[in-house]
Amino acid sequence: MRGEALPVLGRLKRGLTLGVVVPAADMAVLALLWFVGSLFFGFLLYGREVYFFGPWWLALLGIVEGALLWGAWGLSPGMALARIALQGPLRGRAGYWILSHLGPVGALLALFDPEGRLPAERWSGVQAVEGGRRGRPWYRTSTGWAAVVGLVLSLGAAVGTLQIDLNALFTRAPATVKYWQQVFRPNTSLLVLGIQLLIETFFMALMATLFAAPVAAALSFLAARNLTRGWIGRPVYLLVRLAGSVTRSVDAVLWAIIFGVWVGMGSFAGSLALWIHSVVDLLKLYADQLESIDPGPVEAVTATGASRLEVIRYAVIPQIVNPYLSFTLYRWDINVRMATVVGLVGGGGIGFRLGGALTDFNFSTASMYMILVIVLVWAIDYLSARLRAKLA
Amino acid sequence: MAHLVIERLTKVYERGKVRALTDVSFEVERGEFLVLIGLSGSGKSTLLRCVNRLVEPTSGRVILDGTDVTRLSPRALRRTRRKIGMVFQQFNLVKRSSVLSNVLTGRLGYVSTWRALLGRFPKEDLERARRALSRVGLLEKMYARADELSGGQQQRVGIARALMQEPELLLADEPVSALDPATSHSIMQYLEQMNRDDGVTVLASLHFLSLARRYGTRIIALKDGQVVFDGPPGAIDNAKFKEIYGEDAEEVEVR
Amino acid sequence: MRERLLLSRRRFLSFFLDWISWVYLLYAGFSVHYIRTSPTLIWRPEEKFVLPELGLTDWILVLLVTVELTLLVRSFGVSLGQRAFGVILARADGSPRVGFFPRFGHFLASQLVLLTVGLPVLVRPDRPWHERAAGVALLPRPRGAPRVRPWWTSAYALTGAALAGVTVALGWVVTDIQVGALIRDVDKPARLWRGLSRPDLSYFFVPHPLEVDSIFGALVKSLFMALLATLAGAAIAFPFSFLGARNITATGPVGRVGYALTRGFFNVFRSIESIFWASIFAIWVGFGAFAGTIALFLHTIAALGKLYSEQVEHIDPGPVEAATAAGGNRLQVIKQAVIPQVLPPFLAFTLYRWDINLRMATVVGFVGGGGIGLLLKNFKDGGEWTQVGAVIVTFAVTVWLLDFVSGWVRERIV
Repeated sequence: MRGEALPVLGRLKRGLTLGVVVPAADMAVLALLWFVGSLFFGFLLYGREVYFFGPWWLALLGIVEGALLWGAWGLSPGMALARIALQGPLRGRAGYWILSHLGPVGALLALFDPEGRLPAERWSGVQAVEGGRRGRPWYRTSTGWAAVVGLVLSLGAAVGTLQIDLNALFTRAPATVKYWQQVFRPNTSLLVLGIQLLIETFFMALMATLFAAPVAAALSFLAARNLTRGWIGRPVYLLVRLAGSVTRSVDAVLWAIIFGVWVGMGSFAGSLALWIHSVVDLLKLYADQLESIDPGPVEAVTATGASRLEVIRYAVIPQIVNPYLSFTLYRWDINVRMATVVGLVGGGGIGFRLGGALTDFNFSTASMYMILVIVLVWAIDYLSARLRAKLA
Repeated sequence: MAHLVIERLTKVYERGKVRALTDVSFEVERGEFLVLIGLSGSGKSTLLRCVNRLVEPTSGRVILDGTDVTRLSPRALRRTRRKIGMVFQQFNLVKRSSVLSNVLTGRLGYVSTWRALLGRFPKEDLERARRALSRVGLLEKMYARADELSGGQQQRVGIARALMQEPELLLADEPVSALDPATSHSIMQYLEQMNRDDGVTVLASLHFLSLARRYGTRIIALKDGQVVFDGPPGAIDNAKFKEIYGEDAEEVEVR
Repeated sequence: MRERLLLSRRRFLSFFLDWISWVYLLYAGFSVHYIRTSPTLIWRPEEKFVLPELGLTDWILVLLVTVELTLLVRSFGVSLGQRAFGVILARADGSPRVGFFPRFGHFLASQLVLLTVGLPVLVRPDRPWHERAAGVALLPRPRGAPRVRPWWTSAYALTGAALAGVTVALGWVVTDIQVGALIRDVDKPARLWRGLSRPDLSYFFVPHPLEVDSIFGALVKSLFMALLATLAGAAIAFPFSFLGARNITATGPVGRVGYALTRGFFNVFRSIESIFWASIFAIWVGFGAFAGTIALFLHTIAALGKLYSEQVEHIDPGPVEAATAAGGNRLQVIKQAVIPQVLPPFLAFTLYRWDINLRMATVVGFVGGGGIGLLLKNFKDGGEWTQVGAVIVTFAVTVWLLDFVSGWVRERIV
């Protein structure tokens, strides 16, 4: 491994990974362990929620030192995920640990080393190598043990926080008998009304998909790495991708709340929520598809003297039409499922009525609506799968 | 004057990491069937792609019919490209489109952009497509999807696409390496026919020396991006062969 | 015989498609008009049927008009049904060029079919005599023929476009789309945007006076709800997924029954929304996060079970064959040859499910499950937009972070 010179960018990447990203990941893991541990022992000892045990400086010291020690002496989770392992004599590890306190400074200093080594590596005789250590069973690694401990603590903390009381499942079962009777006697007089509400829900999903697909398709050309080159293209690409990622993290349900306030509760608010979520979701699917097209035809059509637009029309679009349609159908299927939930929050369609019936504990009504929703979801699921099979 | 002049052509990939071509210079006369040979990675593909600037050369000049291709504006480059047909190793057809629409893309350099975008090619182009397809014997497959065809048939569609450009120069990048020997000869014969009957200058890279000897009027051998041989097919003897392909190589015959 | 049957089927289906699309066009078109022009009827039905109600005579009229229109198009052009089921009107000798008079004759003769309620078609479905009388026949369309006319001059394309147009129009009025509402009455949205852009984080760690949980506490609850539901759901779905995989169970009648039962269970429970369970368990075990967790858990079993089963069905059969050939029994084969293949995708699905469950936890909170959904609902109902903003921003950031981390981890383990 030794003696391979790296370009500046490679040095920067190596330094940042080893000096910043790996310790930060380890610290995050330890902080998480500390957090769930606090919750767990809080419930065990005091029977209440304790988010953070101990004086803050002690916790901080434990987390930082623990992370650095972990990195120096064992295969820490950060290193495992970055697929890096330390190689070298055990004596050197102490030096590595001390010098790894340099952190970001060490990462900067790695820039001046031709091989991109951190000061911690240069002076300790310990070398970080790609590939990590493979082949060890997970229960013989410290990361594996940390995962198990973390999982157990989390489960304990979850049981405490959520006030899980399995007894209640048995002792309180008789109280639900009359509601179960309602569930199995759906209110069939609501059938006609329910079908109309179902039509509304269906159209919410359809309109959202229909109007989202062209918008997403147009934007996808700006969000595909292979089609956006040059000093205008690349920033646009980054901007569109970032905006998409941020928008996607706001769930359709939250959008339904926002639009419910904005344009008033109703199916329009629900459609808008589904629409905006479909746009960003389809945008990602479409753009990923564009990035994976066969470059051969693009080359061939360019070689005939075609312009950029003609290349897109004749070499790119024929390759993506069917996948795009398939993704759109898939999204339609999801939208039909989500339209119920979105309707519940933003108003409109069968979801709103279903939510109302559920909060009133009117289960004969709720089960009628639920049956209708299931029928619709199954029908669209079947239809969408059949159509997609045809497209493939 | 020579049809194509390559002058001190150099191509370096990835910020100085890979040198694909170093100082390559030669001239090609009109009507020649020039074959490039060499090992994989010797720079054959890069050289061909520098001629129509699918790959931008790092330095050097490519002069076609007296104009320097490396200095052309994007618009002029497109006008030059339409005179240069190209055939690819992997055929590079749009697999989901019909044979006809693949062949018609050969006319994109000639028709106006709005016609192209609407897909309304002129009548004479449709007629030309018919002629090109019947010349490669695929007229009855005109409406078939490209991926329904066998490898040899797909390459014939590729040739028909190049014919549509009515090219003066044809670049063929390993046109037969994805095909079996029998099909290889039929494809090479189509190229030979274009060279002989239409007077198209052909620049083809080939893997097998036997094919190069059989079809080429002149052979240029590349090794590590440099010209190591330039001469008639007969002039490659055993020693020269070892120099081009390495000490361990054995010549194989493609029948 | 078989071919005659197939042709009759195509002929019937194509006619039915044409007719039903005309009925849809008329009824949906009328509904658009009806909903738009009825000021008293808003599309928010209380207990009342708001799609236009037609009487018996109306329906007879609709029937007559649609059948006539269908016959007209089928006689004079390529209808949607003819195109979709690959038949064309041809001369009796098979030539596709049919003149005006045979077409008109076909149209007239078809009236007799209508008057006799389809008698000729019932007698000879593949070659009814009214077509013979007109000298035409409905024949399979020859394949591969080039399209000579642009699509927008053919009847089937126009019908298709009309169907799409009417559907969009109906959707437009049914979902009550008012683009103007986005910019009209900006007072309320302005307050919302103020709240969203300046989220009030003062109750992030300290509970709001009217609430039990702080935002952070509610978020932790939601995270744990999702975690517990996912883990417990995965633990149950894992063994059952082998029962629900055709390639593992389809070896005997017992296995087949087990397969059908498991898959049926997965399919039914997958379609029942978590909110339904949340409400039931809110009664059963009391309002709060526990009820929400059970709701998510039940849905997770079915959703993960289906994904897992499908994954098991798609494994490479080679190792299974090898392990079976080596003399392993069913369980040994599963352990040696199946599990190593499915474990990485199973992990990926499970992480993905955690992500979904976290998002679902908000909705579940709306109807009786606790966590951040409950907080959001209370703030929203109380009109405290700065608090709503704080919750939404907190939640979005959490989802984004988790998405990022789980994407990274997923990439590493698959």
